[in-house]
Amino acid sequence: MRVTLLIAWREYLENVKTKGFWIGVLLVPIVFFIIFHVSSRLATATPTRYYLLVDQSGRYADSVESAIRREHQRRVMLDFMRYLQENRIESNSMAVSNEPANQMEQLIDDFGNDEVAALDDWLSNGGLAFALQMARPYLRADTPDFEEPRPQFVAAVPPPGLDLTAPPEQIVETLRPFLNGEQRLQAGDNQVSLFALILIPADVDSDIVRPAPVPAGMTDDTRPQGVQYWAGNLTDTRLSNAIQTGINNAIRQREYTQRNIDFDAVRDVQRTRLPVSRLDPGKVAGDEQVSLADTFRQWAPMGFVYLIFISLMQSVQYLLSNTIEEKSNRIIEVLLASVTPGELMMGKLLGIGATGITTIVAWLVSFFVFIRLYQTVETAMIVQILDVLLSSDLIPYFVFYYVCCYALYAGIFLAIGSLCNTLKEAQSLMVPLMMVLVVPILTMSFIAQDPNGTMARVMSWIPLFTPFTMMNRAAAQPPMFDVVGTTILLVVSTIAVLWLSGRVFRQGILRTGQPPRILELWRMLRKRTT
Amino acid sequence: MSSSVLSLTNVSKRYGDFTAVNRINLSIPKGSVYGFLGPNGAGKTTTIRMILDIIRPDEGEIEVLGRTSAMQVRNRIGYLPEEKSLYKKMKVWAIISYFATLKGMHRNDAKLRAFELLEQYGLKDFANATVDSLSKGMGQKVQVLSSIAHNPELVILDEPFSGLDPVNQEVLEQLIRDLKNNGQTVIFSTHIMQHAERLCERLLLITQGSKVFDGTVDEARAIIPRRVILECQDDVSALAGLDGVLSVCELPVSSEGRIQGTRQWELYVKEQTNPQLIMQHCFHNSISLSRFDFTQSSLHDVFVHLVGQEAREHNFR
Repeated sequence: MRVTLLIAWREYLENVKTKGFWIGVLLVPIVFFIIFHVSSRLATATPTRYYLLVDQSGRYADSVESAIRREHQRRVMLDFMRYLQENRIESNSMAVSNEPANQMEQLIDDFGNDEVAALDDWLSNGGLAFALQMARPYLRADTPDFEEPRPQFVAAVPPPGLDLTAPPEQIVETLRPFLNGEQRLQAGDNQVSLFALILIPADVDSDIVRPAPVPAGMTDDTRPQGVQYWAGNLTDTRLSNAIQTGINNAIRQREYTQRNIDFDAVRDVQRTRLPVSRLDPGKVAGDEQVSLADTFRQWAPMGFVYLIFISLMQSVQYLLSNTIEEKSNRIIEVLLASVTPGELMMGKLLGIGATGITTIVAWLVSFFVFIRLYQTVETAMIVQILDVLLSSDLIPYFVFYYVCCYALYAGIFLAIGSLCNTLKEAQSLMVPLMMVLVVPILTMSFIAQDPNGTMARVMSWIPLFTPFTMMNRAAAQPPMFDVVGTTILLVVSTIAVLWLSGRVFRQGILRTGQPPRILELWRMLRKRTT
Repeated sequence: MSSSVLSLTNVSKRYGDFTAVNRINLSIPKGSVYGFLGPNGAGKTTTIRMILDIIRPDEGEIEVLGRTSAMQVRNRIGYLPEEKSLYKKMKVWAIISYFATLKGMHRNDAKLRAFELLEQYGLKDFANATVDSLSKGMGQKVQVLSSIAHNPELVILDEPFSGLDPVNQEVLEQLIRDLKNNGQTVIFSTHIMQHAERLCERLLLITQGSKVFDGTVDEARAIIPRRVILECQDDVSALAGLDGVLSVCELPVSSEGRIQGTRQWELYVKEQTNPQLIMQHCFHNSISLSRFDFTQSSLHDVFVHLVGQEAREHNFR
């Protein structure tokens, strides 16, 4: 036992002292946060886009412009809401969520043209500054000033010589080089490229689609074009979406009027809603309201499963290559005069298991550290998630399943490693195992959604899948029979696998030459000593 | 309580059809330096592994330090394997210390001992270097030190001299002598006969899995016919009739530096015969000798004699 611990400690230290280990460990959270940081910055960093609106029908210009302004207002208000949330004094409270921002978004989306105009007025009259002043007592002292985002879509000045009354095709032809980037428009002192052309032909109303009893077999040719949105950029659809919404609202408003329906009444009706509360019967009476934390808790098992999987993959790969290396450079020889193969195997298992646990702990710690240094709405949410995960009753499950899962797979990989002289030889023996390991991950979300269904129950009883599946089911209170039964089976299998692997390891570690075929492997499993 | 630290009785090991070790018997007394000699593929390493209980024999019994398995007394045995290798990233002192702790030493004692040994054998400056920065010879020295750091009663060194330059070979020889002077028993295998000659008291010669010689160095030397050179005034051809003398023949010799009339004779003495016999005979017959020379046959010649034929015809594994 003492010798086993000595070996384990040496393996552990050798790993933990290398720079490579720490780089690997810290890489995950660093990459994670870079992506976070970059994506949030990117969202605010898109360049100003210039568009041209040619409304030959004379009816929709207002709606289009209003739609674009609304889009901008939404951004401004959203940014403002986030700014307030990020800079609140009690910024690590559990109540942080995206709810207020979502509600604001919904509100603005609902705005009609007149409300858009009203909000614009408010904003341009310093409404934001006023709100800021009101909020200041609730914000931290070192809060930076609020930066209002610039408008992203700006109306461009048409190039000289553009005849706005010419037929649509001609306008398109004239502007095509500008849209393709071959020519540039003048905007103030700069030359800018034309992002989009919104062309509303004079006869656009004939293209309005109304519900028909049976739609006739329409080909592409007969489909009405309606408003023409010309742009080379196919991925940034915010402008076209905003315009589509705006114009359709305008059309509908007209339709209501034509059919003598009071538009305001319609709008009021549309804004009427009945809330639906999600309640959990399994919770303590009085506290049934399903909160964000509860939702996290239900998905937490998936997070744990993923964590087990990632950590396992790292550890067993290392076990395999380490064993093969020690075997091929013959350091095994000198070890075997001092330790038994069993002690060696267990020592490696423990040492590298400890490395895996250190990795997980290091990840958690580095996440916390990053969050303290870098507080935004997203990171506050992560804190919430982590709080839920760490305080939940899933932790004992996680620890137990991690240990069993690791021991089970480590035994197998150690046995494989002992039989092979190079990693290449190991690959062919590993293929079936890798396929087995992938299954829990593929089925992860299915099981999370249906924790007590047939697939979940069947998979729970297969020892190679048990840790992942049962971990996944843990939050859904699986039947006691399942829990106890699978646990016993898992523990027994783990012990059996370790014992058999010990036999293989004992014999394999001294072999040179090709890894054995199935028949010889079977004999090795049955043989007691060398 | 026997004074032998190691005894093998009819030990055999087979791998399928191939017999690696065939009924080996040996007994090694405490405190001796014992040589394992033999050509490549003779079964030396297999025998050593069986002694150490790394593999089990198919037949026969092994007794190590009074026990049936070396693993029971592993802390009292030191081993240097034939294929030398160490953990590359570890520091030199740490490696020696680690292996010593595996053999039961406490960590602090092991560390002290490591530095002590490094100083004693001239590696003090490399104590903090990593193993992969050492040359092969130095690495081997470190590995030897690792195998003896825990002061084992029995030290088994498999090809300790291979790959060492002459200076380091001498250092190693001195180390083995130090061990002997300390009362430790040393077994080592080698191809280089000079080391065996200089260090061993007893030898074991194995070939093709079987023992072909087990005895002292002198006994080994007596195995092949030896050459004696006589210089005298008389005719000693009658010596050919002497029991144990194989042949007598006169060699031409110049009279420079010699008394006028001196004749030189070359005799070949049979195996196991003591050449002193001839001197006695001459003495008894009042033959006055001005030179009596017999070259000790070298172990190298003995080796080749005993093994050479078979080694050449041997199917190399």
